[in-house]
Amino acid sequence: MPDFEPILGRYLTVDIGGTAHRIYVEEAGQGIPLLCLHTAGADSRQYRHLLNDREVTSRFRVVCFDMPWHGRSDPPDGWWLTRYELTTAQYLATIEAVWHALELDRPVVMGCSTGGAIVLRVASDYQGRIRGVVGLESGAYAPGRYNDFLHHPAIHGGELVATYTWGLNAPQSPEAGKRANWWYYAQSGPGVYAGDVMFYSFDWDARAHIRSIDTSRCKVSLLTGSYDYSCTPAMTKAVADAIPGSRYTEMPGIGHFPMIEHYEHFRSYLLPELDFMAAE
Amino acid sequence: MAAFRERVNADPELRVTGTKFDASFGIAFDETRYVVQVRGGTIERVLASPRFDLRTSFGFRAPMRVWSRFLDPDPPPLFHDVFAMLMRVPDFVLDGDTLVAMQNARALHRMMNLMREIGPVPAEAAAHA
Repeated sequence: MPDFEPILGRYLTVDIGGTAHRIYVEEAGQGIPLLCLHTAGADSRQYRHLLNDREVTSRFRVVCFDMPWHGRSDPPDGWWLTRYELTTAQYLATIEAVWHALELDRPVVMGCSTGGAIVLRVASDYQGRIRGVVGLESGAYAPGRYNDFLHHPAIHGGELVATYTWGLNAPQSPEAGKRANWWYYAQSGPGVYAGDVMFYSFDWDARAHIRSIDTSRCKVSLLTGSYDYSCTPAMTKAVADAIPGSRYTEMPGIGHFPMIEHYEHFRSYLLPELDFMAAE
Repeated sequence: MAAFRERVNADPELRVTGTKFDASFGIAFDETRYVVQVRGGTIERVLASPRFDLRTSFGFRAPMRVWSRFLDPDPPPLFHDVFAMLMRVPDFVLDGDTLVAMQNARALHRMMNLMREIGPVPAEAAAHA
């Protein structure tokens, strides 16, 4: 008998803004839906340890998907005539399309980095329809990551973006976790990380929206690693201060990619927040 | 810097990833300057106090107080990585032909992180100041 992991992956075509998108979705577990969003330029493999954590999957149906253009999800038809640039509106529409297609009832939405950012808008825009959000490395406003070298004809984009993001890990994190994330980044399509960072650096500003979040209708947990220099602990603290009733914890010795760079350390911070989300 | 050269040239990873890394770059600790000449990911020479006719493609420069944090075996956040410092530490500067630096980012980044493994660099550089 093969020693399969409990993760099951499938493809799903959803309508996003009037265009069909073939999306890769993988999941494990049963219970409260936990919809997970990967970081810029990466894919749902970043959640491989969460998907294999029976303490989580015994209570949560963990669902992860690759954003269009990322990982095993295709870009839409005609992609070769399009420059990929994510926007806040497209990101929200994508999350809503997958959430509804999978008929997830009052999910918890968890995201990291750009995913950790957009869950703040998910919380503000869909409060009352979701159980809560877990924001990993969440900032409401985060300029400064974009540069033109991220997609440049004279530079190997995969190697650059993987190296550019390597330093977002904590130095203390295990080599295997950091290397796995490097590899995922190196496999991103040309210009995809740059297109995500365009969103993060220029389009993203949720400083006004987060003030509308009512944590009695949508729980908010925020976890940020002390070594995250893209979304610093101070940036997440500013988010927490703007949302009465939110929970914020800084994670010492962790960087920007907690779920892949050092899962064993990260889960000690995550599990109490999942308990909080599960409580009625 | 001799220890840095020795550590880099003994690195099995750079033997794999650095084979196309051919460039000379500068490193300045306060006013103490070096030129690092790299061929195939190996440091051929480190030249102290270079004259202006020793050409480089790009260079890193920062005050010693910044380098000391970067080179600490347990570096503090924001000082723990070259790209972190380029974003968050204004005194840490990459100048020159930055395209060449980014073309070699993988090996260059590895090389700079190896500098952390040889603690004497700040003291040695300070002695030259």
